[in-house]
Amino acid sequence: MTEHLEIKGLKKVFKTDDDEVVAIEDFSLTVKKGELISLLGPSGCGKTTILRLIAGLIESSGGEVLVAGNSVSGPGSDRGMVFQEFALFPWRSVRKNIEFGLELSGIPKAERHTRANEYLEMVGLERFANSRIHELSGGMKQRVGIARALANDPEVLLMDEPFGALDAQTRNIMQKELLKIIEKTDKTILFVTHSVDEAVFLSDRIVVLTKRPATIKEIIDVPWPRPRDRASPDVTAMRKRILDELEKENVMIG
Amino acid sequence: MFEFHSVGGSLLRYDPESRLHRFVRSLVITVTSLTLLVLTWWVGAITLDITFLPTPLRVYEAFWRLIDVGDLATGLRLQDHIVASLRRFVGGFLIAFVVAVPLGLMMGYSRTTEEFSNPIIEVLRPIAPMAWAPLFILALGVVTGPMMVVFIGVFFPLLSNTVFGVKKIDSYMIDAARTLGASNLQTFYKVMLPCTVPYIMNGVKIGLGIGWMCIVAAEMIMAQGGGVGYFILNNAEQVGNWPNVFVGLIIVSFLGIITTGIAERAHRVIISRMGME
Repeated sequence: MTEHLEIKGLKKVFKTDDDEVVAIEDFSLTVKKGELISLLGPSGCGKTTILRLIAGLIESSGGEVLVAGNSVSGPGSDRGMVFQEFALFPWRSVRKNIEFGLELSGIPKAERHTRANEYLEMVGLERFANSRIHELSGGMKQRVGIARALANDPEVLLMDEPFGALDAQTRNIMQKELLKIIEKTDKTILFVTHSVDEAVFLSDRIVVLTKRPATIKEIIDVPWPRPRDRASPDVTAMRKRILDELEKENVMIG
Repeated sequence: MFEFHSVGGSLLRYDPESRLHRFVRSLVITVTSLTLLVLTWWVGAITLDITFLPTPLRVYEAFWRLIDVGDLATGLRLQDHIVASLRRFVGGFLIAFVVAVPLGLMMGYSRTTEEFSNPIIEVLRPIAPMAWAPLFILALGVVTGPMMVVFIGVFFPLLSNTVFGVKKIDSYMIDAARTLGASNLQTFYKVMLPCTVPYIMNGVKIGLGIGWMCIVAAEMIMAQGGGVGYFILNNAEQVGNWPNVFVGLIIVSFLGIITTGIAERAHRVIISRMGME
C-alpha cells in the first residue's frame, strides 16, 4: 500500500494583535490510497482548519503536506474540496458547474462534455444537467458539489462536513450514495464531521481530535466491510465508545 | 436511482390566470390614477385661467406642432432636442460605466487601491453634479460639458455598488474555485465578476435615474446646442410659451420612465438568467 497523503507535524497559530492562539499542534497523519479517513471532534476544535490547511486555502505555521509524494503549498487541483455550504456557482447550470475545473485547465469542449456526463451519471443527476442551482434541493446541490470536485480527478478529496446542511433523512441517503461513488472511483478521502454515527458508518479509520489546540487523541480502525448496518451491536458499541470518549473531553457534540 | 424531494417547487407554482388577473388589476389602477392627475390638472387650468398653466388639450396641440415644425425660440423640432439630450446622456453614462466598474472592482479586490482611492472619492462625492456644470460647459463645450455632468451623476452610485458587490462575494465560492485549480486571474473573471454583476446592475439602475436628472438641468446652463433642458429654458425665458414648456416637462418624465424601466428590466432579466437571488 502506498502512502498517498502524508501530513507531517502540521501546525497553525492564529495571530491577533498581541495574542497568539494555537489552533493545530503537531498534527501528523498518513493516509493510504483509497482510504476514507474521518476527522471527528467537538465543534470549533479545528477540524475544518486542518482540512483548509491541507487544501492550501490557509497558510500553515509549520509542518508539511505531501500528496502522492510531492510537497504542496497553496491550493491546487490535486486536492479537491467539497463544502458544507455547497459553494456552487448559481449562474452556471449543473453541467457547467461540474465542468468548471476542466474549463480552467483548458480541456476541449467535447471532452468536457463527456467527462461531465460520466459524473452526472455517477451522482444520478443526468436529468438535471441543464437545471439551475436554485432549482435543486440540498441533497442534489451536494451531489453537484461532489461531482464538480471529482470531475477534476483530484488525488485527494477533502470533504468539510459535506452533509452537515442536510436533513437527517437526506443525510443518510447521501452517505450511502458516497459509498457507491467511492467504490467506483477509489478516491482517497479526508472527511470532516462532528457526527459519530456518520464517521462509524463511512470510515476506514476515525481520527478523534482533542479540543483546541487540535491534536490527535486516538485513531480508531473500523474493521467491518461496507455497507454497514447502523443498528448492528458492533457498530452501536463503537459509537458508544467514541461518544463516551468525546464526552470525557467535556464538550458538546452535535 | 434515488428519489428527489422538493424539486424546483417555485417553478411549478406558475399560474397564468392569476398573473393575467394581477396584470389587468394593476393596469386599471394605473390608468385611473393617471387619468385623475390629468383631470385635476385640466380642472385647475380652467378654473385658475392663467397663462402659466395651459390645459392638457393645448399642450397636446403644442406637442404635434413641435414634432412637425419645431418652436420659434430654438428653431429645432422636438425630436432633435430629444436626440441631443439622449446623446449626451448615453455618452456620459458610458464614460462613467467604463471608469467606475473597473475602478470599483479593483477597489473591492485590493485593500491598498481602496485605501488610496477613498480619500479622493470622499472629497469629490459631496459636490453635487450640477455644481460642476458651469466649469465643465465653459471648459469642454455645450456637448461634452453636460455629458460630464451626467458622468459625475452616474459615477458615484455605480462605483459604490460595484465595490459593495465585490465585498459581498461568498468567500466559499472563491475557495471552491481555487481548490478546482483557478489562478488569481481565472478566479477574478470566472467567479468574482459574475458574482458582482447584479450589484453593478443595481448601480446602473440608480445611476441612470440620477444621470437623467443631471442632463436636463445641465442643458439649462449656457443653454445652447439643443437638448430638452435647453428647449424648456428657452421656451420659458425667451418667448413664454407655456404649452411648449409643459411638453418639455412631460418629455423629461417620459424618457426618464423609459430609461429606468429598461434598466430595471435588464437588472431583473440578468439576475434571473444568472440564477442569482
